[in-house]
Amino acid sequence: FTEMPTDNFVESSFWNFDALFQPQQHPARDQHDTFFLQDPAEAPELPAGYTAKVKKVHSQGGYGSQGYKYEWRLEEARRNLLRTHTTSASARVLYQLARQEKFSPVKYFSIDRVFRNESLDATHLAEFHQVEGVVADRGLTLGHLMGTLRQFFTKLGTGGTGGGDARGLGTPQGPPHPPLSPGITQLRFKPAYNPYTEPSMEVFSYHKGLKKWVEVGNSGVFRP
Amino acid sequence: DEEFNELCFEFGLELDEITSEKDIISKEKGEEKAKGASDTVLYKIDVPANRYDLLCLEGLVRGLQVFKERINLPRYEKIIPAQGEGQRLIITEETVQVRPHAVAAVLRNITFTKERYDSFIDLQEKLHQNICRRRALVAIGTHDLDTISGPFTFTAKAPSEIKFKPLNQSQEYTASQIMDLYRTDSHLRHYLHLIENKPLYPVIYDSNGVVLSMPPIINGDHTKISVNTRNVFIECTGTDMTKAKIVLDIIVTMFSEYCEKPFSVEAAEVVYPNGKTHIYPELAYRKEKVKPELINKKVGISETPSSLAKLLTRMCLKSHVIGNGNNIEIEIPPTRADIIHACDIVEDAAIAYGYNNIQMTIPKTYTIANQLPLNKLTELLRLDLAAAGFTEALTFALCSQEDIADKLGMDISATKAVRIANPKTAEFQVARTTLLPGLLKTIAANRKMPLPLKLFEISDVVVKDPDTDVGARNHRHFCAVYYNKSPGFEIIHGLLDRVMQLLEVPPNEENGYTIKATEGSAFFPGRCAEIFAKGQSIGKLGVLHPDVITKFELTMPCSALEISIEPFV
Repeated sequence: FTEMPTDNFVESSFWNFDALFQPQQHPARDQHDTFFLQDPAEAPELPAGYTAKVKKVHSQGGYGSQGYKYEWRLEEARRNLLRTHTTSASARVLYQLARQEKFSPVKYFSIDRVFRNESLDATHLAEFHQVEGVVADRGLTLGHLMGTLRQFFTKLGTGGTGGGDARGLGTPQGPPHPPLSPGITQLRFKPAYNPYTEPSMEVFSYHKGLKKWVEVGNSGVFRP
Repeated sequence: DEEFNELCFEFGLELDEITSEKDIISKEKGEEKAKGASDTVLYKIDVPANRYDLLCLEGLVRGLQVFKERINLPRYEKIIPAQGEGQRLIITEETVQVRPHAVAAVLRNITFTKERYDSFIDLQEKLHQNICRRRALVAIGTHDLDTISGPFTFTAKAPSEIKFKPLNQSQEYTASQIMDLYRTDSHLRHYLHLIENKPLYPVIYDSNGVVLSMPPIINGDHTKISVNTRNVFIECTGTDMTKAKIVLDIIVTMFSEYCEKPFSVEAAEVVYPNGKTHIYPELAYRKEKVKPELINKKVGISETPSSLAKLLTRMCLKSHVIGNGNNIEIEIPPTRADIIHACDIVEDAAIAYGYNNIQMTIPKTYTIANQLPLNKLTELLRLDLAAAGFTEALTFALCSQEDIADKLGMDISATKAVRIANPKTAEFQVARTTLLPGLLKTIAANRKMPLPLKLFEISDVVVKDPDTDVGARNHRHFCAVYYNKSPGFEIIHGLLDRVMQLLEVPPNEENGYTIKATEGSAFFPGRCAEIFAKGQSIGKLGVLHPDVITKFELTMPCSALEISIEPFV
């Protein structure tokens, strides 16, 4: 897995939400979950051709989708924020991949900071780290995603703290979790919902200490 | 309980909590108040954000029963009344400025019980919060049809011209009075702003001038429904047509179960300002074709077309095989507005198959791994700095304005800091432009530890940069502090020399690094130097000014070093 560049905490709504098919009226974009910026408030530059495509898919549909059928606004996409997930970095990298002359399969990862506008308590911080993994190739299946996740967690749980998410073609999201016992091999997958992946799965592992299944990650296959 | 938990897990719902009314009151108000409350077990279930059809008990149970193959998905029927007999909602052009769209339908001969009634009200509230975006996009009004007579008019009027008795009030008020009345209401005050400053407020009348509602604020008391209501007139008004249609479809499909003719909905006609008419609810059944190979391929299973059709039918997507077995035709009911692409269908097939029944495989993709050079350098430096006797710290990237400016003797406008619009506390006003405050705060929190305290951090700071596409960029900085009874300038200087040695940068001016004495607002005069390398200034080092030390609530001398490591990647 190759490391993705993630050294930009400041991101535009375009890359953080719109390019990931998160509708502009989604609750997560509300003031209370995202840190919006006062200065610089708007991103001066967005990729022109790509922005037009994103606008079309949201409002009218495309690539086999019906879209959300609402009025997509450019000003909303320009709003700067502190990224809420490292998936925005994945989106940028996949965009570059798409512009390559010839497609080459890739595996990317990143581990970096994200920001959520939440009140601090015992299990929630306003800034935390996410582990993200993306695989892009022809003929990938949900089974592949599950297999990759299982390998990842098996390697992860050797007495260290758990809390990675893996997404085949998606991004993991992992707020800090209680330490898991060595060798996370008991994994179960549960259907979930993300605006940008379909199918989506939450990954659960059995925590011997707490004697119950805890969520250790989120994953999915990116929507066409 | 476990069985239900399993079922929820498979289906994609989260069983959040198993509790009872007694437990809830107990937790919130104490055991005393809970006496006499119901002991019946309550399940708290989390529903995915895009499944509006599972938001009420009726829909949830229906979905699960079809999933378990206990019932067939009911067919929702739209009954169009004979010409002139149906209800009509006439929209006038004044509404265009404030709330242009409206749809309507009728539930005929419905039988409510207390539970069904509560569920009905509850669903409206949930839809309001969810897809209607707290009534901004769509507002729902339900009325007892027997108390009013159509045709109905949806228009907009000046606040002083609208007068009616709002729900559960005892007297009539004008619209402006209503705004004041509900200004302190914990529930309704959040919606007042949606129309408050508009010149005209939306209002719906019946043919006798009785007010049905003033969306999105409140309905009229006259038309309120009760457990005994037999005929319900539903209207949804809003600013987003697509969502208004979805909301109407959901309400009628869910509760038409209780009509005399189950699952039948009486249509209503909406007349637009330009004279065109449209029948609602749409209750559209859409047909899509999906190839079985596509589903098998995307999920990683190999099921026969007919078994795939069976799986999809279990997810409320009635399907059957067509052609000579190489295609599946799927009928998407009006309750599944979340199906907008073939991949949504693929997901449902996978859920019905059972995610945990899918075989886990590894992709055969061969790739060569690479570490990002900047991160690789960071990792290498971290190890050696720890070996030099310094302890690593990880601090917050967000801090208060004082932290990066006033406390360091600088003015905030000189810092080019990125500022946050909606911080919850003063601690998160700006993104840090220097790692120094974070480290100093860490020392302040660890004063009881034995001296000397030697900390470092290699992490990102954020500065405004008009050359980037978003207007700001990260810089990878390295910062170290030495806190002891004596300032230890020589130790910090030695650390710099060590780092340069590791980076193979010689200590000369032409092709290496050099330091020149300078003044810095955070530093002790005469004890500050600027570091130059690769043709640019990369940072400063020195003994910190006593003012800075005091402002960070520290008491001992401290020396610090901060440089950008990006030129060395």
